[in-house]
Amino acid sequence: MGYKNRVAVLGAGLTKFMRRAQETGKELCFEAARMALDSAGLELKDMEAVVMSTAPDAFDGVHMKGEYLADGAGGFRRPYMRSYVGGGSGVFSVIHGWYHVASGHFDTCLVVAEEKMSPCMPHPQAAFNAIYDQFTERPLGVNLLWIFALEMNRYMQVHKIPLETISLVSVKNKKNGLDHPCAQAGIPGEYTVKDIMDSEVLVWPVHRLMVSPVTDAAAAVVLVSERVAKRMTDKPVWVEGVGWHLDSSYWTNRDLYYPKYVEYAARMAYRMAVITDPRKEIHLAEVYDPFAYKELHHMEGLLLADKGEAPRLLEKGVTQRDGDLPVCPSGGLMGVGNPIAAAGLMKVAEVFWQLRGEAGARQVSRPVKRGLAQAWGDLMQVGTVVVLGV
Amino acid sequence: MGVTTKPNRLEKIRTWRGSVPVWHQYTLGLAGERFFRELKDRGRLMASRCPRCGAAYLLPKLYCPACFVACEEWVEIKPRGVVDTFTVLHEGLEEEELKEPVVVAFVTFPGVKGGLVHRLGEVGRDGPAVGMEVEMVLRPERRGGLDDILYFRPVGK
Ligand SMILES: [Zn+2]
Repeated sequence: MGYKNRVAVLGAGLTKFMRRAQETGKELCFEAARMALDSAGLELKDMEAVVMSTAPDAFDGVHMKGEYLADGAGGFRRPYMRSYVGGGSGVFSVIHGWYHVASGHFDTCLVVAEEKMSPCMPHPQAAFNAIYDQFTERPLGVNLLWIFALEMNRYMQVHKIPLETISLVSVKNKKNGLDHPCAQAGIPGEYTVKDIMDSEVLVWPVHRLMVSPVTDAAAAVVLVSERVAKRMTDKPVWVEGVGWHLDSSYWTNRDLYYPKYVEYAARMAYRMAVITDPRKEIHLAEVYDPFAYKELHHMEGLLLADKGEAPRLLEKGVTQRDGDLPVCPSGGLMGVGNPIAAAGLMKVAEVFWQLRGEAGARQVSRPVKRGLAQAWGDLMQVGTVVVLGV
Repeated sequence: MGVTTKPNRLEKIRTWRGSVPVWHQYTLGLAGERFFRELKDRGRLMASRCPRCGAAYLLPKLYCPACFVACEEWVEIKPRGVVDTFTVLHEGLEEEELKEPVVVAFVTFPGVKGGLVHRLGEVGRDGPAVGMEVEMVLRPERRGGLDDILYFRPVGK
């Protein structure tokens, strides 16, 4: 693998997740970026480059949002780039930042992810209508929930997974979210499977409590070269592997029961991290969970479970915080909230805090030396994976 | 193939109108909320000041983008500035001819970083000029938006 610098995560910052933030997107970016710099013990002047991830412009309602957000993200008077792969953006932002430092071009890079979904009316789902084909799908009034429902049903049918099992993801993650200080008001809590099953059916089989909510927030991390890391900290967290992969955006032309593109993204990251047995070598995973079933679907794509096996691991408690493979100890999108790009970066930040033993009440029981964060998105055909290790 | 896409040949191929079916509800942000409340309730211009480099920002910012620290101090700015540059609009957003040309200027204020882009009014026979001293004219009834300022006009009018 040809790159010049080994890259470490030196600090992380996260705003409170909010349903309707009064702050502008720039102000949210500033708050998260300032926290990340403080936690790294560095200043903006120490940052040689800045990267920004933020999902569709239609959410904030600002066209060319990356440019709009730049000064809040510290992108002022320095090399600055936006990357964007829809829901996959938050994890991809770290891959993007990794490139900046790994290339040898920069020793430091501030990575910021922002989403302000609440300005979008009547609901961000209306913006999602316009991501589909203009003449085959849009006339049906399609939105993301539809496609999730079709995919979820296919996954459930192929593996004979009961809805009760999928509800357990909501129960677990919403409970984990109780310990997250940034969790959006009203999301986390002690729910039973019955509570989840009794929630309103949005688009069968998707029930309201199986969907992560619309959220405003920002997140940030500071990436540095090995040279800087060794000077600044005794506890460097290394970016050991990065991977991403895209499938056809023509979703009708692939089998929805299995996210092959996530597998390829994971294999790329594992190859770089020299991981041959992910089930043993990955100690915790922040798997992308915008919908309850996606956590299971993605665990399989990440090769953390055989096809159809993820529901069994969940039922056995393996993915609980005190299990052998904690999944979404942060609470994930289901338990903390889903500000698209910021949610993905929140997952990377969680792995960083877990590996440093700084996750507080969320700290997993087993000792952890290597963790994974994954996101998914674009037109439901991109997988982004980052492996961190100490 | 290309000829069918000329606008005057569009009737020969099937097309339809569509839009992204959303609208937006924006917030002013923490700094913006305070700025527009001051403008609405007290008719005054406020800037935020960076504790590190001392720059005063108008429109105010919650943070200094250069020093990257919070700007917690607020200062009142005298509503009298200087035309930095201007333009005269003859057509509107949809290429419609305007009944009266509209003069738009970038107005800067002494000791302030930034400034306001706004209309100029009462410019008289000689018209607008770069370097012209102008003052703010407020609407009597204000709602908390940039339109609370009617326009800037030459000082002494
Ligand atoms: Zn400053």
